[in-house]
Amino acid sequence: MAAQYKGTQVRAPDEGAAEPGPLRPAGGKPPAGARTARTAGTAALSRATPYLLILPALVATALLLGYPLIQNVIISFQTLDAFQLIQHTTQWTGFGNYKAQLTSAEFWHTTERSVFFTLANVALIMVSGALVGLLLYRLGKRMRLLLSIGLVLAWAMPTVAGTTVYQWLFDTRYGVVNWFLDKLGWHSMAGYNWFGGQFSTFAVITLMIVWQSIPFVALNLYAALTTISGEIFEAARMDGAGAWRTFSSVLFPMLRPFFLSTAFLEVIWVFKAFTQVYALNAGGPEGLTETLPVYAFVEGVGNQHYGTGAAISVLTILILLALMSYYFRIILKQEDDL
Amino acid sequence: MRRKLIAAIGVAAVLTGVAACGGSDNKSDSGKSSSAGPADFKGKTLNVWLMSGSNPPGWTKDITAAFEKQYPGAKLKITVQQWDGIQQKLTTALSESTPPDVIEVGNTQTPYYAATGGLKDLTSVKADIGGNDWAPSLNGSAVYNGKQFAAPWYFASRVVVYNKKIWTAAGITTPPKTQDELFSDLDKIKAKGTKDAFYLPGQDWYGFDGFLLDAGADLVKKDGDKYTGNLDTPQAASAISLYKKLNGYGTAPKDKDEATPQQSDVFAKGDVGAFLGLGWEAAGAITKNPALKDQVGFFAFPGKTAAKTASVFVGGSNLAITQGSKNPELAQDFLKMAMSDQFEGELAKEGGVVPNKASLDSNLSGNEFGTVSAAAAANGGTTPLIPAWGSVENVPNPITTLFMTGVLQGQSPSAAAKKADAEIDKRLSQQ
Repeated sequence: MAAQYKGTQVRAPDEGAAEPGPLRPAGGKPPAGARTARTAGTAALSRATPYLLILPALVATALLLGYPLIQNVIISFQTLDAFQLIQHTTQWTGFGNYKAQLTSAEFWHTTERSVFFTLANVALIMVSGALVGLLLYRLGKRMRLLLSIGLVLAWAMPTVAGTTVYQWLFDTRYGVVNWFLDKLGWHSMAGYNWFGGQFSTFAVITLMIVWQSIPFVALNLYAALTTISGEIFEAARMDGAGAWRTFSSVLFPMLRPFFLSTAFLEVIWVFKAFTQVYALNAGGPEGLTETLPVYAFVEGVGNQHYGTGAAISVLTILILLALMSYYFRIILKQEDDL
Repeated sequence: MRRKLIAAIGVAAVLTGVAACGGSDNKSDSGKSSSAGPADFKGKTLNVWLMSGSNPPGWTKDITAAFEKQYPGAKLKITVQQWDGIQQKLTTALSESTPPDVIEVGNTQTPYYAATGGLKDLTSVKADIGGNDWAPSLNGSAVYNGKQFAAPWYFASRVVVYNKKIWTAAGITTPPKTQDELFSDLDKIKAKGTKDAFYLPGQDWYGFDGFLLDAGADLVKKDGDKYTGNLDTPQAASAISLYKKLNGYGTAPKDKDEATPQQSDVFAKGDVGAFLGLGWEAAGAITKNPALKDQVGFFAFPGKTAAKTASVFVGGSNLAITQGSKNPELAQDFLKMAMSDQFEGELAKEGGVVPNKASLDSNLSGNEFGTVSAAAAANGGTTPLIPAWGSVENVPNPITTLFMTGVLQGQSPSAAAKKADAEIDKRLSQQ
């Protein structure tokens, strides 16, 4: 991902705002004059090359995502419980599963919870990630290496392993967090059950997800910053701009495409975060931390109503698409501008 | 140029990763026809799934040797499964074209699987595998719609497992006869500085069901021809308040069950006064900490008066042959072997569990847990034997997550019961 930002370098703020540089594949157009010098056969081949190159990715996507997705949509129109699964019978129910969900208060509560959870996490990730990225840029060589290693380690940590570590950190009896708070003098925290309440459970989940997501934002921002000529900052300083002004009027507009695409990637990742939420406390207590993916799993696999679970997951995709519509609109609009 | 459109599609592809959760593929598979002759068992493997804690090592070794001796060339492969999430695992296994041949199914969950059609009808071979001698009261869960879908394997009821050293140190010489005595004993133990006089995690719903039965109610009630949740009752309120009081005699979590962490591991540390458990848990604690060997004692949970011990939930397991088994003959013979007096007796003797026929009860005489547990089971009950009950036990179980933990963390029994009953009703009606 980082390599792609190379394409955004030294561009004036106004120009950068109009183009989502990060999403443009590296390489650019082939030289226009080259085609005339070739025979028809090689011309056809060269026209086909981009499609041939993208073919393996398309095949993999179709097999690993497309096929399960279609199956999932098919199942969402069925009543598929343990009975049907074991008997291998197909029992169609039309829009029954969808109707049940769309008229269920629990579904809408979960949706609301998911949306707010996503927004809060993405805001925290973007702000802290950007701050850490700027810090990386300003640090000296040695400290930068140290911080980079720390970020990469946090990033490389497998999700379930990370979750286990957080479970232990926040364990009621043996957790180091409670021990530390107790030592600090906050004695009522000595036996505090972090997973007993909705807010405290969400707090731990959020802390973990933000911790796991900062490296991506920070390292990419740092990579983008290294492509910007230092003269621009110097010029801003000469004009009397402070740190905030430099960021908001110079840096942010230049890197707007970066912030936009990263923020929306984070929206996708946080919204569909299943492992962290489920592994930490299985959506508990009392299902109060169930987000849509967890809800789909609990209803589908946990309660063995696989059709219901499939319908919820399809609705989840639709809701996510709605959340992403702003981003798609920008991309498609720029498509027309070209 | 369509690059940006492609980029947009790429993002859409990332999005669809959300849909990764779905059903498994449900293609129908007729399966290969098994045409093995009676003597042709060479190279066959009989897959048997048993649940954690069910098969003691000696029994496992002996029955494997006996099976492989009877069928030279055939292999018996026993896989131990965990209770947590077992229903989803069983459903998936039963839907496959090569399921395990023999599975252990908990007695409360058996009607559910009998109804799904995943278990083989054993009615015609019941007599051959020894079914005429099974105690009728213990066979109830294995019969569905008048047909025998499983063989009752063993039973067990939870009793109080206690650390004699800690109890003696507190000046207690005889086990309590009433609940009042129990609490005064626990007070004495606590006064001696034992943090966990009684270790009772908040989600041991089998333990709670015993208290509820003792209070004179069931988890569900029959309402016309359908069942509904029955937790919003004075009996359930009194049972959960007893439970809460006991939970307060230790540091056990309010929102975890007895397997997270394994309560036997907690007891093995040697600083826990008592817990509500089974024979294999006590044995597990001793394996982990041999110093406890002569310190572990058992008594049935006392009643309100000394006249009789408290009612208990009688847990148990059945063995069933899967409908899709590729080795039905071997499976049936394995079942016959496991149900035989020799191996049923050995299981009772080694595991301290109640055997499926009264004539084998003598095997329990040397096993302190077995003796206490069998006596307590005389006063026992179970969940309603209806297929829909299996849905209630699906994760997350409303009895534990909504009711028990809810009350233990400060909700009023009635408020928590209303939430749990609503979810139980929903699940019972969905079957």
